[in-house]
Amino acid sequence: MMMSGGWRMVPMDMNMPMLPGLEGAVPVVGPFMPGTMIDPATLPEARPSLVVPLSNMDTLDISVSMVRRTIAGHEMIMFGYNGQYPGPLIQAPQNATIIVRVKNEIEMPTTIHWHGIRIDNRFDGVPGLTQEAIGRDETFTYEVRVPDAGMYWYHPHVREDVQQDLGLYGNLLVTSPDPNYYGPAHREEIFVLDDILIDDQGALPWGEESPTHALMGRFGNVMMVNGKTDHQMEVRQGEVVRFHLTNVANSRTFNVTFGNAAMKVVASDVSRFEREQLVTSIVIAPAERYVVDVRFDKPGEVAIANTIQAINHFRGEFYPHVDTLSLVTVSDQNADSEVSMAFETLREHSDVVREVRPLREHFGREPDHELVTTVRVQNLHQSIVLSMESDTLYAAPMEWNDAMPMMNWLSTADEVTWILEDVTTGAQNDEIDWSFQVGDIVKMRIHNKPDSFHPMNHPIHIHGQRFLVASIDGVENQNLVWKDTAILPVGSTMDVLVEMSNPGEWMMHCHIAEHLHAGMMFSFTVNDQAP
Amino acid sequence: MLQILALLGTIGAFDYSVTSSPAETKAHEIIPTHIELCTVGPQYYAFELVTTKNIPGTGLATGQVQASVSGNSPFSVQLAPDGSYAYDLHVSLQRMRAPLQGNLVAWVTTTEIDRIERMGTLDANLQASGRVSWNKYIVVVTLESSDDPHQEQWAGPIVMRGMSRSGMMHTMVGHGALQEENCAAYGYGN
Ligand SMILES: [Cu+2]
Repeated sequence: MMMSGGWRMVPMDMNMPMLPGLEGAVPVVGPFMPGTMIDPATLPEARPSLVVPLSNMDTLDISVSMVRRTIAGHEMIMFGYNGQYPGPLIQAPQNATIIVRVKNEIEMPTTIHWHGIRIDNRFDGVPGLTQEAIGRDETFTYEVRVPDAGMYWYHPHVREDVQQDLGLYGNLLVTSPDPNYYGPAHREEIFVLDDILIDDQGALPWGEESPTHALMGRFGNVMMVNGKTDHQMEVRQGEVVRFHLTNVANSRTFNVTFGNAAMKVVASDVSRFEREQLVTSIVIAPAERYVVDVRFDKPGEVAIANTIQAINHFRGEFYPHVDTLSLVTVSDQNADSEVSMAFETLREHSDVVREVRPLREHFGREPDHELVTTVRVQNLHQSIVLSMESDTLYAAPMEWNDAMPMMNWLSTADEVTWILEDVTTGAQNDEIDWSFQVGDIVKMRIHNKPDSFHPMNHPIHIHGQRFLVASIDGVENQNLVWKDTAILPVGSTMDVLVEMSNPGEWMMHCHIAEHLHAGMMFSFTVNDQAP
Repeated sequence: MLQILALLGTIGAFDYSVTSSPAETKAHEIIPTHIELCTVGPQYYAFELVTTKNIPGTGLATGQVQASVSGNSPFSVQLAPDGSYAYDLHVSLQRMRAPLQGNLVAWVTTTEIDRIERMGTLDANLQASGRVSWNKYIVVVTLESSDDPHQEQWAGPIVMRGMSRSGMMHTMVGHGALQEENCAAYGYGN
């Protein structure tokens, strides 16, 4: 439905009546679509991601450009790294340095942030903090040293809500020299999870001056694995598949299930877990990564799915919702049984255990810094305010779906400010001014205030360092893993131990793209030498 | 039956700071000595248990349920395979005594009471722990003659009950300008 100012009505579940007073309302910002004056036929069709193995000091050229893509039957102009979706899968050995020359050929300034890498601060990709944004036709050369094995990813740090959503993301796999770093598996699969908001004409426009969907973030209604809406796999009976999951969505946390297949979580953002652990699903928030081994025991079809209990705010009810992400056909041919059997052993990663042990002594002590998360709104449409305020008697720990699509769409970063507040000083977002020394173990206590206008889960991301989630709501974490992003559910209090190992100016922010651009960020300093 | 199972009389003005039990302590006489404040979950998802006053000696009884959704999950939140939250629950009652006869048993049931799970018998401190994998649920404490862990539903009278915080989720169905359907049909399920 066309509306004023070039906006189209946000797709909605028509069982949900529109709030009175919102008929015809559009966001206060203008609509943005990439390449509006360009005939898509003149653009190259995006290709699936290619693997690019690099050695120490190898150089990779990446162009950031417009591509033609078809998603769910809609041909659209999107962005791509080297014309690929996702961007090239870069592989590099642990401790290598790779050189990446980035040329910007899109109409917006951009950068590349190397998410999770304890990188030299100059190459962290934060405009205004570590570099100037790369303008159109300009080039910037990143030197990326990769000190930790695992799965990482790269994405812009300029208007992520637009650029990332339009396809600017790729994985960086850092390989360990240890051939037994992970246990045996028959094969490995990369799963980049994303969603995109589409109506019958294609992607819904983004906000031009600032993001729409500032309240809950822009949830998509079409799910993708590696940029595909119809991902499929074939495996043999008993096959153990190691999945490397990355969530690149703007706001959606996925609950990934693998039917009745046996699964164990092995690693996350910056390391392996102390111990492999059997699980029934993988909860993965924007920017997080998980490595999970899955054994497909029975022939037949298995749907890898996002399995959630969504909320219908109009009816005040939870309801089950399942989106298939990939369809796996398990043949009755048997996979090599030795590897299948080895799956049963839950490995302990003694080097991780040893490495994190000294940090356990910080578990009991008082935090060095305390933060709360909250939100402030101004000039928001009165019927949205009334409706939201009547709904604050209960907020779920996590928001798995966009239960109020129109209200969410209409809220922009002009009206909504998401806040990280220092409890001691009252400083909010960029007013926060912390500095540390290399070698400090900093304990941060972060509380997600449930009594705000609209409490919501936040994936909290810290640049350039690694941290442990020591406890949530006073329950100590028994199986530690180095993280760069962690979920803070509504009402929860999370203690994290940040190992300040990397000097520079580093960001800390919510990784819901719209929350970040609605203010939810600050930077802190890590000094190399005593001041 | 009820008389046989009757509880001790009301404790009356109760001193929460008392830390010692009466001299002639027997299991059934132990007085809870302090209120466990939130240690197993965010205060936000905790809820009150309210006495039915059905049982003598429970007129002033109070109770709480702490609900933790983080558990020891590697993901900050603990979920059941269908995506429902899996809450670790901790029930505690105060301002009443353990019954002389019979057992106080905590149960968890759906809002439609179509599914019931036995959480466990309250201990001498009038506490019990368990887990539930439903998004909306009711916790019920009943007085049972049996202590059978396999008992499928309660047979005795309800002593205390309370609804999960999610029961406060607002519904607009059947109200005001948006009235379209019978509000009793919606909003109280799931
Ligand atoms: Cu957020």
